[in-house]
Amino acid sequence: MNFTFTKQEEAFRLELRSWLEENLPDGWKAGNRELPRDKGEYSKFLRQWQRTLYEGGWAAISWPKAYGGREATLMEEIIYHQEMVRIQSPPLVNYVGIHMVAPTLMQMGTEEQKRNFIEKILTGEHVWSQGYSEPNAGSDLTAIETTAVKDGGKWVINGQKVWTSFAHVSDFCFLLAKTGQSEKKHEGITVFLLDMNQPGVETRPIIQMDGKQEFNEVYLTDAIAYDSDVVGEVGKGWAVLIALMLHERSGIAAQVFTLERQFDDLVEMAKQVKIDGVPLVEDPIVRNKMAGLYARIRGALLTYYRNITHTLKNGRPGPESSLDKLLVSELTKELFEFAIAIQDHHGVMTEEDAISNKSWQEGYLSSFGVTIGGGTSEVQRNTIGERILGLPKDLGR
Amino acid sequence: MDFSLSEDQEMFRGTLRKYLNHVGGTDVAREFIKGNTTLVDEVSTGLAELGSTAIPVSEEYDGLGLGPLDLVPFFEESGRVLVPGVQAETLALAVPLLEKYGTEEQKKKYLPGIASGSITVTLAWLEAGKSYGPDEITCLARQEGDDLILDGVKMLVPHGDVYLVLAKTAEGIGGEGLSLILVDQTEGITTRRLNVLDETQYVVELTMDQVKVPKSQVLGAVGQGWDVLQEGLLSFNAALSAMMVGAMDEIVSMAAEYSKIRIQFNQPIGRFQAIKHRIVNMKLDLETARSLSYYANWAVENQTADREAAVYSARSFTTEAFARLAADNIQIHGGIGFTEEIDCHLFLKRARYYQNYLGSVRKSRERIAEGLDWSAKKSERDVVSIG
Ligand SMILES: Cc1cc2nc3c(=O)[nH]c(=O)nc-3n(C[C@H](O)[C@H](O)[C@H](O)COP(=O)(O)OP(=O)(O)OC[C@H]3O[C@@H](n4cnc5c(N)ncnc54)[C@H](O)[C@@H]3O)c2cc1C
Repeated sequence: MNFTFTKQEEAFRLELRSWLEENLPDGWKAGNRELPRDKGEYSKFLRQWQRTLYEGGWAAISWPKAYGGREATLMEEIIYHQEMVRIQSPPLVNYVGIHMVAPTLMQMGTEEQKRNFIEKILTGEHVWSQGYSEPNAGSDLTAIETTAVKDGGKWVINGQKVWTSFAHVSDFCFLLAKTGQSEKKHEGITVFLLDMNQPGVETRPIIQMDGKQEFNEVYLTDAIAYDSDVVGEVGKGWAVLIALMLHERSGIAAQVFTLERQFDDLVEMAKQVKIDGVPLVEDPIVRNKMAGLYARIRGALLTYYRNITHTLKNGRPGPESSLDKLLVSELTKELFEFAIAIQDHHGVMTEEDAISNKSWQEGYLSSFGVTIGGGTSEVQRNTIGERILGLPKDLGR
Repeated sequence: MDFSLSEDQEMFRGTLRKYLNHVGGTDVAREFIKGNTTLVDEVSTGLAELGSTAIPVSEEYDGLGLGPLDLVPFFEESGRVLVPGVQAETLALAVPLLEKYGTEEQKKKYLPGIASGSITVTLAWLEAGKSYGPDEITCLARQEGDDLILDGVKMLVPHGDVYLVLAKTAEGIGGEGLSLILVDQTEGITTRRLNVLDETQYVVELTMDQVKVPKSQVLGAVGQGWDVLQEGLLSFNAALSAMMVGAMDEIVSMAAEYSKIRIQFNQPIGRFQAIKHRIVNMKLDLETARSLSYYANWAVENQTADREAAVYSARSFTTEAFARLAADNIQIHGGIGFTEEIDCHLFLKRARYYQNYLGSVRKSRERIAEGLDWSAKKSERDVVSIG
């Protein structure tokens, strides 16, 4: 067992850290981390941040050098996430493009697709979204109803997508559509690289329960794509989807470290806030429960380390990453629930009326998305039960 | 970074598992419950021959000079089949303390015997009607020349060859004036076997009536027993966590295997999500417990600054999770889970036994909070007062 980082890894950390010190957006380091409220400004700000990362060579560190990456090791990627969380860097608007779409195109895209898209993903010129979910297909993506019909040299696409994160700021969408009927549920689905800036695509923001507008409905009415926009083979989109998911090899790291930081913030809040004259941290019941939560969060973090070790030794991630996703998202929800519960009746107040830090109330509301987005906890449990424990499959799957 | 047991450690686990399966797995515990100790004696010898008891003892005293992490496979595998005995008390509490605080004479007297498997040591701490707190000790060790004369009654003491007795050698509060004394089976000691829920345990009430031991039997400085004990409890609780992880691992396999073969409503019950998701939750607890246990043992081995929080995170989480898993396992097995025939109940009773053994979950959590310095005074920022 060994928890130390190598000399190279430490050097990498220092290099990144000093770059961030120099290049973070104004006000960010001083703790003023407000993102612009205006949609246009918001998009401009985040694209600019990606541009800055790109110019510093920090936009896509795991990519091959030939495409402008650093060929970072898995450990370097983890350090990268640790540092970004530590400094509370602005979010990466093009997460989907960088961590999922581009690596998939490198693996299975045509030369033309590589030329047209990969560099622009890196510079932030093209921001991407993922169009999978539909009103009648969420957990079960084989039930999608959006169709793509061949018409001469074109594909005509009709249907509706929903919960599409960042569609309102994106230029392209990694879109799933039905191109054929088949007895086998996973066949007849095709992946398109859809241009969002065309008359057939209409994006309407959906207001989330936390008041934000990060995901959208996307209406497709005779939207157009070309043969050159198909990824992999027509009808074999499912295989592309699986390949794409495997590319997100360190994706959970950011959440694990965010959870760790949120717990530190919780302790700090409990030290500062007094109820009936007693600091929360010295109230025996709060202390006891908080220690229980600490143990579980530590356990999740350490389990992540064990799974990473497994990946390092085997060269590829196993199904264990479902364990990480499930543990971390459920614990995030519990952490915020706990944080506002211990504030007693003050827990309901928000904005400037909230105590200590309104982010507890915001975080509480937004935490309800983490056990749904990216696959619900129930679906994760099915995956773990079937793929790790070998239990019999759900009927119908 | 590498957060896994080494190849050697995993290989040793393989050897132990093969051996314990060969001698019948939980049959050893079942024979012991019936009152037949031949098999358990044979297994204790077998485990010692494989080198288990020599692991933590230094080479000078015929041991292997290895650390807590090397004991993890041993504790996990003995926990898996519920081997009766006091290996954790001997190897993870007494040995580290003897190695660190023992006099040359004490080491010579006990360590080689422990390494060969012929001596076991347990802890005599709790007293009737009392708790594990530092001010609860009434057992007296009165000085008489070069000797100590011990008087008192200890409860829930696991049976062993040697008892580490926590006794009062001077007045004091908060653990002051307490000493840890090595007491061999000798005149003036009587034991009465206690009836306990976990029948795989041999637990006694230990009465000491004018027991005379030389002062040289005190472990560590006279009057410093409480602090010495706290240190020993770190390695002990890390080991106990590993033992519980082994048992939990077995429970999860039992539940998963059964749910694949038991058919109801024309399908294996493991297809029902009420069952499937419950087993997955058990698996999550198991992996969390295992991560915490490995880290706790690593922290003790490397004497890290966060070892107190690490050990008590492992101990508190694992203690609760073990009891929860053992209970769920019975439910998943249905009617047969409620019978004596299937092992489910053995694990449940073991889980209950450990739940408040040498410390509670509540106390463990307090130790986490202390270990992490959770106090309002430590906050640099202004305190916000409401209510
Ligand atoms: C914050 C956020 C961001 C998102 N971003 C995107 C995005 O960018 N692109 C995109 O395409 N989608 C996105 N989604 C959609 C997300 O992937 C889906 O919401 C999710 O997969 C669940 O689908 P659903 O909403 O249709 O719920 P349903 O599938 O209808 O599920 C409803 C309930 O039934 C349960 N359930 C369903 N199937 C099973 C089963 N087999 N076993 C047991 N229980 C089951 C679910 O767990 C849930 O509790 C996002 C969602 C959120 C919350």
